[in-house]
Amino acid sequence: MSFLFGRRPRTNTVDLPKQAKEQISKLDGPGAAAKAEELAKTLGQMKFVLQGTQETESSPEQIYSLVTGMIQEDLLYLLALNLYRLPFESRKDAQVIFSYVLRFRPPSASPKSEPMALSYVINNRPEVLVELCNGYNHTESAAPAGTVLREVLKSDAATAIILYHDPLEGSPGAKGLTGIQPEARQSGRGVFWKFFDWIDRGSFDLSADAFNTFRDLLTKHKTIVAQYLSTNFDLFFNKYNTMLVQSQNYVTKRQSIKLLGEILLDRANYAVMTAYVDRGEHLKICMNLLRDPRKMVQYEGFHVFKVFVANPHKSIAVQKILLINRDKLLEFLRHFLEDRTEDEQFIDEREFLIKQIRNMPPTPVEPAQKPALLGSQAR
Amino acid sequence: MSIEAGASQYTVLHELGSGSFGTVYKAIDKTTGEIVAIKHIDLESTDEDIQDIQSEISILSSCTSPYVTQYKASFLRGHKLWIVMEFLGGGSGLDLLKPGNLNEAHVAIICRELLLGLEYLHQEGKIHRDVKAANVLLSTSGKVKLADFGVATQLTNIKSQRNTFVGTPYWMAPEVIQEAGYDYKADIWSLGITALELINGGPPHADVHPMKVLFLIPKQSAPRLEGSQYSREFKDFIAQCLVKDCDRRPSAKELLRHKFIRSAGKVEALQELIERRQLWDGARERPSHPKYYEETLLVLNPIKTTFAANIYRHTMSPKNDPDEWVFDTVKKATIAARNNTTKRRKLSVIHANGQGLVSGAEEALKRLDIKDAPLDYSSPPPATVIRGTVRRQPSVVHLASPTKPRQPSSQRRPLQPDMSFGNSASTVRVFRRVSDNSTTAQVDSDISAPGTTRDENRPPMAETVTKDAILGRRVFNKIIDPSFQEVHAQTGNQAKRDALSRLADAWSALDAVDPEGEYQLMKLLLEKVQNDPKLSVHLSPSKSTSRDGTPQSSPQKSGAKLVLAQNNPHLKSHRRRQSSMLPEETKEKLANLPGQAIPGMEHTKQLADVLYGRWAGGLRNRWPAA
Repeated sequence: MSFLFGRRPRTNTVDLPKQAKEQISKLDGPGAAAKAEELAKTLGQMKFVLQGTQETESSPEQIYSLVTGMIQEDLLYLLALNLYRLPFESRKDAQVIFSYVLRFRPPSASPKSEPMALSYVINNRPEVLVELCNGYNHTESAAPAGTVLREVLKSDAATAIILYHDPLEGSPGAKGLTGIQPEARQSGRGVFWKFFDWIDRGSFDLSADAFNTFRDLLTKHKTIVAQYLSTNFDLFFNKYNTMLVQSQNYVTKRQSIKLLGEILLDRANYAVMTAYVDRGEHLKICMNLLRDPRKMVQYEGFHVFKVFVANPHKSIAVQKILLINRDKLLEFLRHFLEDRTEDEQFIDEREFLIKQIRNMPPTPVEPAQKPALLGSQAR
Repeated sequence: MSIEAGASQYTVLHELGSGSFGTVYKAIDKTTGEIVAIKHIDLESTDEDIQDIQSEISILSSCTSPYVTQYKASFLRGHKLWIVMEFLGGGSGLDLLKPGNLNEAHVAIICRELLLGLEYLHQEGKIHRDVKAANVLLSTSGKVKLADFGVATQLTNIKSQRNTFVGTPYWMAPEVIQEAGYDYKADIWSLGITALELINGGPPHADVHPMKVLFLIPKQSAPRLEGSQYSREFKDFIAQCLVKDCDRRPSAKELLRHKFIRSAGKVEALQELIERRQLWDGARERPSHPKYYEETLLVLNPIKTTFAANIYRHTMSPKNDPDEWVFDTVKKATIAARNNTTKRRKLSVIHANGQGLVSGAEEALKRLDIKDAPLDYSSPPPATVIRGTVRRQPSVVHLASPTKPRQPSSQRRPLQPDMSFGNSASTVRVFRRVSDNSTTAQVDSDISAPGTTRDENRPPMAETVTKDAILGRRVFNKIIDPSFQEVHAQTGNQAKRDALSRLADAWSALDAVDPEGEYQLMKLLLEKVQNDPKLSVHLSPSKSTSRDGTPQSSPQKSGAKLVLAQNNPHLKSHRRRQSSMLPEETKEKLANLPGQAIPGMEHTKQLADVLYGRWAGGLRNRWPAA
């Protein structure tokens, strides 16, 4: 973009959003290539208004009028929707524009208040966030959309919007923050559930980027996520186990086992954890991970397996599986990842598990305590 | 989007080199005929940095500039990640330095091109953070490109600052070391140091321990170019780059207007340097065969090809693998039913489905025996392995690689101490380091069995399962190899050196194939020496202390690597990765750790410890698998 360098924007800042909107609407028509180029220029100008250059500072007044203009023209939505159709450099510009606009607070506003455009999106135009997620539908838009999303996900409200988006629910489209009903089960058609496909089936870049966003969604705002996972326990873990943990994609598999361990071991997810380790099927999946030919998969699997064994209130199903395989497990664990001789924590944990399994009563015992979550859920 | 299509689009030719992240191959893009470089990263060998690799890729993929190495594609094959980059045949800036220092005119051209690259990056809100000669690549026509974005960072806000402590000490700007927050100006400092490196053959303080350098840089006045042979403009350019106050340091854009840069010549002039280096290489090297890429195990391994299978999953022949868990409390039907309804059939589910009952517990137990457990890679020769249990063994064999040291790129001169620092060689001369066993991998392909070194999926070392083997390996690492290094270093005559390196090669071949025999040999030698009264007087054991030569004076082994501070949190994961190392090695390592009475540095011990810890911490991006 060096050709734009040092040049003052020709168009008045106020008119830029309108101009961009027109250019986007013409992307389909005749002369689309020329329009795309014009749009690229407009976006370039908007970027310079927002971030200034290394030499010139940007002015808050100009940014303010640009942001309000963008809200008026619904440009954030249009940009998110058409991100993949923009030229290479423009996609990066659009990413910068999003980042600045969604972070911008007028100089008069309190630094703790929600940035004005973000607040608008959350309360009035949640489709912007949904469309940013849909950026993963295209290789071209995945990285810029992902970068914007991960920044936006620092806001708990934005996280909730994406998690609870559900097109089937009542009126068409999302309703913003006020429309969220945390107790209602998800249909699985919301945008959040598409992440499983993106992660499992995408190319390496796309899949890894989507996974980063997915992880942020599930780890940044713990209370929201704990509630969400409790409500949608079966839907979530069915998908998680079949599509991610048992994915054929090495990176997906390894990363998702690791994330599973992190989710389960997070104190905020205690109820989810007890429910998870209660199920025999989950243990089976996990024990097969220990036998995966790839060491890092075994290693990550171990950190989930230990939760089952360490659970003082093992369910009958879990006890049965462990008891049937007791001798084999003891023998197996004795030599499990033997060459991790310097990983003291791992060695300690392995010893602990061996002890736990060895000391199990010979027949399954009814657990003294059952997972709270399962009381209310279908088993 | 099919990953398989991605990989088959390229014909891999031969190895170009290897770094901390993996091996680089030259390849041809079949669709365009274009020559590319493909970096293979073995993800199994890294504990937790898939994310780091991904961030490098995302930074690379958002760059299109003639001054930055062009990223083309990346895809997964099993647990290998392939990154396709443009091929640059001229070598790195560091390679160009090998035959001798550069002259002022050449440095000016390189500096101008680097400034153009930095101008682009900075404008994009990116900081390279590791500008040095080793990270500058040249095309055969002399074009100069910035490479290695392993530590580059993306700033979301163009004016924001970073606090992370990364880079390579000798090239680090004072503000980076002081963690005072830095921005793109840090790259300008590193550029100044790189210019000094190119003209002097090394960065300032190259002979100082990197830890000490960390407080020399902020404390001392900025380095200057000395010598009447250099022009005033050049000296001023360096002085401008090396302004300690980063606010007063000019930007890349400003420096492009500097007289030294404006009067720089055309990039074609750099072809002289490339030719000079080729001549030099040709004159120096013993003939070495290029290492061709062999796909063998990669192709045979079905895990590698699972992506396509993932989408269009065909029925998989049931696997005859008895070592399975028994889940017979479980109704088989339920699992089977679930399999059929699930789009993707999972390997592990298939096991549970088919084989759970086939295997008696006893047999399973037998299979669990150390020899056959999937964790254990003591195994018959690879050929057998391939035929034996095609399904999993290849990757089992492969499992050796996370723990085995990588083969250093400087294969050609096995006894040359490898000065590489981090993932690429550097001009730093003396560096405290610790062997990572990789000398065993340096078996030159013309001496050892060709298959041993060429096949990247095969651990270059034989398996150290028996005690004798472990001892044998220790004999090699502690005694034979360092002794060879030392004697080689002391030998002046080229013919003698050659003879010596051939012997060293042969011995390392023995070590790779038969450490037990090696041990026996050593034992016999010692016994014979002791039994001979004359010799035992002269060859008294107390004199054979070459093994622990002081690191300052004799970098013992090539392919060695950086030591992390003992209290460093990353050391834990580092250790995990090192897990195959013999325990004895470890003690050795700890004794070598910085902060433990380094001659001449006692006075700074405490501060040094802190700095070193921070430094090593910040560098975890750099040596995640170190």
